[in-house]
Amino acid sequence: MILAMAVKTVFVTCGATVPFPQLIHVVLGKALLERLSDAGFRRVIVQYGKGYEAEFRKRLNALECVPAKCSLADSTLGITATGLCCGFYAPGALEVIGLEYSTRVQDIVGLAGLVISHAGTGSILDSLRSGKPLIVCVNDKLMDNHQQQIADKFKQKGYVWACKPCESEVSECLSRSQSETLIRFPQAYSARFENDLKRLAFS
Amino acid sequence: MNMEYLCVALLLVYVAYTVRLISILPFFRSYTNGSDVLESEPIERKGPLHVFLFLGSGGHTGEMLRLVDNYKEMLLAKGNTVYVGYSDDKSRSQFIRQVTIENRACRFEYYQFKKAREVNAGLLTSLASVLQTIIKSLAIIFKVSRAMRGKPRLVLLNGPGTCCVIAAWFKVIEWLDLFQPCSNIVYVESLARITSLSLTGRILYWIADLFIVQWEELCLTHPRARYYGLLV
Repeated sequence: MILAMAVKTVFVTCGATVPFPQLIHVVLGKALLERLSDAGFRRVIVQYGKGYEAEFRKRLNALECVPAKCSLADSTLGITATGLCCGFYAPGALEVIGLEYSTRVQDIVGLAGLVISHAGTGSILDSLRSGKPLIVCVNDKLMDNHQQQIADKFKQKGYVWACKPCESEVSECLSRSQSETLIRFPQAYSARFENDLKRLAFS
Repeated sequence: MNMEYLCVALLLVYVAYTVRLISILPFFRSYTNGSDVLESEPIERKGPLHVFLFLGSGGHTGEMLRLVDNYKEMLLAKGNTVYVGYSDDKSRSQFIRQVTIENRACRFEYYQFKKAREVNAGLLTSLASVLQTIIKSLAIIFKVSRAMRGKPRLVLLNGPGTCCVIAAWFKVIEWLDLFQPCSNIVYVESLARITSLSLTGRILYWIADLFIVQWEELCLTHPRARYYGLLV
């Protein structure tokens, strides 16, 4: 376990339900993998979302990853029966782990030194509540959703770095994440709120 | 002569129910925003709390679980009863995994609600399923509101559509039963709503006893909304 912690890990999550091909495309691009490797990362864990397994494997193959046994136990990753794939990206010896959906996202976030996430509030909270540096990537192909607004708001507050799913922008955020620190995300406990709840309930 | 008495009686009933309706809807109640004196005084806990909450699936369930966890000292105190409404089994098992097994000192009851609207359903099927939801949920809400009656109680909602039906039934029961105490409905708008309310939010703005937004900007356009910072 101590060994597992020591491996500098980046966790990429597209959310559990809607695939986000553009983000996967950027992350599994040679350029970004090399940048990650240069920044000292040795493991990339990608939660690619429902129904994207075949496509993900295809991309791993295209990278000529050396198939390998995953260095993390199933219990750590909390995977469902399907969807685990794993390989080593040769030049940087970067381990790439893909999974469709994890029931233990919080544990994976705990392993990570950096999280790159879609702009869903659930995923954003998973990272920020664990105090992990977070790059938020907006899925601009989704119609009528609030991802752009959320990303802008969190970026404006200085809680995250935000970008579009293209190589140059993700790279830029990556290098900023290696030199800057984010503003601490405020805690969710409000004594005022609890007191108002009590007043409502007990009076 | 008899006719006149009947008219007077009907008029009285009408007036009573109109007054009752006005008194139970929070919109007609005066409200204080932010800085009342009472805020500094801690409120005494008077016996175990009865909490109804609804798990709306996906992101709604996620936020509700965080909310419950953040305020568990109050919501999941020893001896409390928690009535868990849910519409999909995934939310229920998530709740059991994250909340129930770690809080053995509370009593949990589970109630399944039919989803108000399935995605991609036709108009007629939608209508039929909404009607079914409305009728089936009455039985549950009736039972729960009887169980919570007279005890310290809270109803926690955070979306989606089924919450409107739930809140409406709580208030209808309050309205028709002149002696039913306030249901104490608390609605927490989703973290994802920054500049405008969700449809559920827009409806519950008129019904919830405490209406909460998580971004301050929404208070400007919705004066009844309260803001306590991020709660999830």
